[in-house]
Amino acid sequence: MMLKPYFAFAKKSFLKRSAYRFNHLMSIFNTCLQIFIFWGIYKALYGDRTEVDGITMSMVTTNFILSMGLSAVFYVDDYFLPSKIWDGSIANELLRPVSFKGKMIAENLGNAAFNFVFQFVPALLICVWTIGMKPPASPQMFVLFLVSAILGYGVLWSISFAVQMTAFWLVNIWSLTTIKTVFINVLSGSMIPLWFMPEWMRGVLQFTPFSSIYFTPVQIYLGQLSLQEICFQYLVQILWIIVIYFVGNLLWIKGQKKLVVQGG
Amino acid sequence: MENLIEVKNVSKTFKVNKRANGIPGMVANLLVPKFEQKQAVKDISFSIKEGEMVGFVGPNGAGKSTTIKMLSGILYPDSGEIKVNGYVPYKQRKDYVGSIGVVFGQKSQLQWDLPVIDSFELLKAIYRVPEKVYQRNLERFTDMLNMGGFINQPVRQLSLGQRMRADIAAALLHSPRIVFFDEPTIGVDVVGKEKIREFIRELNRKDKVTMLFTTHDMQDIEKTCNRLIIIDKGSKVYDGTLFGIREKYGTTRQLDVEFKDNCEIEPIKNVEIKQIDELDGRKKRFIFENKDVQINELMNELLAKYNVRDLNISEPEIESIIRKIYSGKDVVL
Amino acid sequence: MKCDTFYLIGMYTKTIMKSWFQYKIDAVLRSLAVFLREATGIIVIYFTLLKFDTLNGWNLYEMLFLFSFLFVTYGILILFFTGLRDFGDTVRNGNFDRFILRPRGLLFQIIFINADWFAAIGHGCLGIALFIISAGKVGVEWNVISIFYAIVTIVGGVFIQGAIFLFLATLNIYLLETDSLKEIFYWNMRKFAGYPISIFHKGIQMIMIYIVPFAFVNYFPVQFLLRKADMAQYPSLFMYMTPLVGAGMYLLAYGFWRLSLKYYKSSGN
Repeated sequence: MMLKPYFAFAKKSFLKRSAYRFNHLMSIFNTCLQIFIFWGIYKALYGDRTEVDGITMSMVTTNFILSMGLSAVFYVDDYFLPSKIWDGSIANELLRPVSFKGKMIAENLGNAAFNFVFQFVPALLICVWTIGMKPPASPQMFVLFLVSAILGYGVLWSISFAVQMTAFWLVNIWSLTTIKTVFINVLSGSMIPLWFMPEWMRGVLQFTPFSSIYFTPVQIYLGQLSLQEICFQYLVQILWIIVIYFVGNLLWIKGQKKLVVQGG
Repeated sequence: MENLIEVKNVSKTFKVNKRANGIPGMVANLLVPKFEQKQAVKDISFSIKEGEMVGFVGPNGAGKSTTIKMLSGILYPDSGEIKVNGYVPYKQRKDYVGSIGVVFGQKSQLQWDLPVIDSFELLKAIYRVPEKVYQRNLERFTDMLNMGGFINQPVRQLSLGQRMRADIAAALLHSPRIVFFDEPTIGVDVVGKEKIREFIRELNRKDKVTMLFTTHDMQDIEKTCNRLIIIDKGSKVYDGTLFGIREKYGTTRQLDVEFKDNCEIEPIKNVEIKQIDELDGRKKRFIFENKDVQINELMNELLAKYNVRDLNISEPEIESIIRKIYSGKDVVL
Repeated sequence: MKCDTFYLIGMYTKTIMKSWFQYKIDAVLRSLAVFLREATGIIVIYFTLLKFDTLNGWNLYEMLFLFSFLFVTYGILILFFTGLRDFGDTVRNGNFDRFILRPRGLLFQIIFINADWFAAIGHGCLGIALFIISAGKVGVEWNVISIFYAIVTIVGGVFIQGAIFLFLATLNIYLLETDSLKEIFYWNMRKFAGYPISIFHKGIQMIMIYIVPFAFVNYFPVQFLLRKADMAQYPSLFMYMTPLVGAGMYLLAYGFWRLSLKYYKSSGN
């Protein structure tokens, strides 16, 4: 496979982001602020207690910094395909000699790379300096955390991919995308640490892909999982990527057929 | 007749962020942005009378769009005066804009998701167009621009040519006295362009609508305008008739000669040829100044000395003359 | 206001509705999506308080009551101010130039060309639902005074947020991109506003009171009605100032808007 054009796409979207200098400085601040809000809430909730259900305040803080930091990195343009269907440019895009999906991944990764360097790292430093966070349980766990975080991005990306494909039929998918985001926000552990979810909710969550986006990496980082459990979680993450991508791809194939038959 | 549009010594300068290339450039720009002054329009003056149809041409970035924006009241000039239809565009906005129509070829004002007719209805309400006038204009434009087939289709499904026609109609529903076109035929196919030009001519002839339009397509100008204003690097370099531009700048003529056999041309006495180009086959092109050369002398000479199969004399095309004016070659201004 | 203004508002609304119903499924889901998105914070606080019972002395119903003011005001606000929220796009894609070319008020066009009815319904319903659920359980005695107070502060709250929108919209005239500023000064501050501000760092409280005064949209008005213990650290005058803050801020923002319009016309975009 020729990767060169995709590198070019990724680089272009990386550079494009720099045009909005101001925007970008603000985004760093923005991510930190989000983290501070939840840190503030949990500090008030904890009060004088050092731990609740075996979870210390610093674990909660680490959870917020990592999951919100990662969500700043995990860039997916939810309207990559829909916008092209809406304005009709999809027909031309499909005629190009590069894979459309490849281009989509490349541009998202370019943005994610930008976010990592210029948002995640500075935001992390600010947060560590102001509210502090736990170091990784061990260097090994840190590496395992990174792998799991990348897999988490895969899960998030494939969810967005599958939702975007419905645009072949619905054209305007603002509502679906918004509802998707709500599910991710509430159920992935980025706004409420999943330790504190009621027992029955945690039971339900086991059968959804959401907790494997942020919560799994965080647990690995904190050393809450044994090696065996980590392997199992990796499998879960990979399984979700495959299943959701498969569904999305099915829609993608059908959608293209529909496009050819109806001419847009 | 009175001047409907009056532009006096107008200048306009913008501040632009200068970006360096590549990732290091990006980082530098994030830290220390650089700005530079760009003078878009330099001391331009002209006036246009009622019912005139004026082409406004120049290379990219010459200041055409900026001038149109100042004329339509979107921008203030830095200095100078503009008066259109008795109004100062950028001061008396609400009163003024009802009397003008503006078509931006690059930017539609139609509702993307809705049938064309819905946008028209909305514009009717915005411009307070009386029902009678609206119906009359709608009927007329639908007919003249051949919109019957797609007026009930959503805009996003239209071809570029159809969309442009609908956009032109949209800008004219309120019967403006003056219309500014900013590249009204850009990206439209040949047949579509012809329809648009025909419509513009008709409107000018019948309704005496005054028009100013920018374009890159010289055909647009040749087929519609009787007057031409050329600007380059923000300054006006020509203002006059299409014919006048040939008189003034198009002073060379070319004579294409097809010979029966290959031959070398020796210098011809009394005739000063500027240039001889070899064309395909046994053709040669003689380029000379009209005023210096007696055409019959040249032809006699050639016919007498060589075996000539065919002769053809022509003027240079307007487009190449204008291109010469931009580049400043061969032209003393 | 000329009488055909209302006719034009009707036409704009019709056009918006028609545009949305070109995509039926999306239109139907739209209010639901807005409802759910906005309920995110509430779902989170619900789950959180199932575990922790109270947040700085505020129980679940009191928290919902605090949220309800935020949503009711936003529901009203968004009906009129969507265009200002999205003004950055309007400037960037050249539509603002088109507005200038039409013989109608600029602010009028910006507001009514985009009025977001679905969002208004989504937010409004959420706000009203929260209010109904919580109003009877937070121990407020509902009489003429408290009802009048609630109405006046809601109007004031709409204007406070409207002024922030207008101010941020105006910044688009100077800056290429203001989405992040809006994100911080509006959306994130609004996220803080769902909670009793007393739990946050002093600096953030200062911002919420003096810079982006969301505290006057819901916290201080709700304090007037509930008198929770944490009110002791603020001047009690704050509980009466919402309408004043709203009017003052809106006038300031409007002045800034008028001034900037002149700048736009001299600098272009």
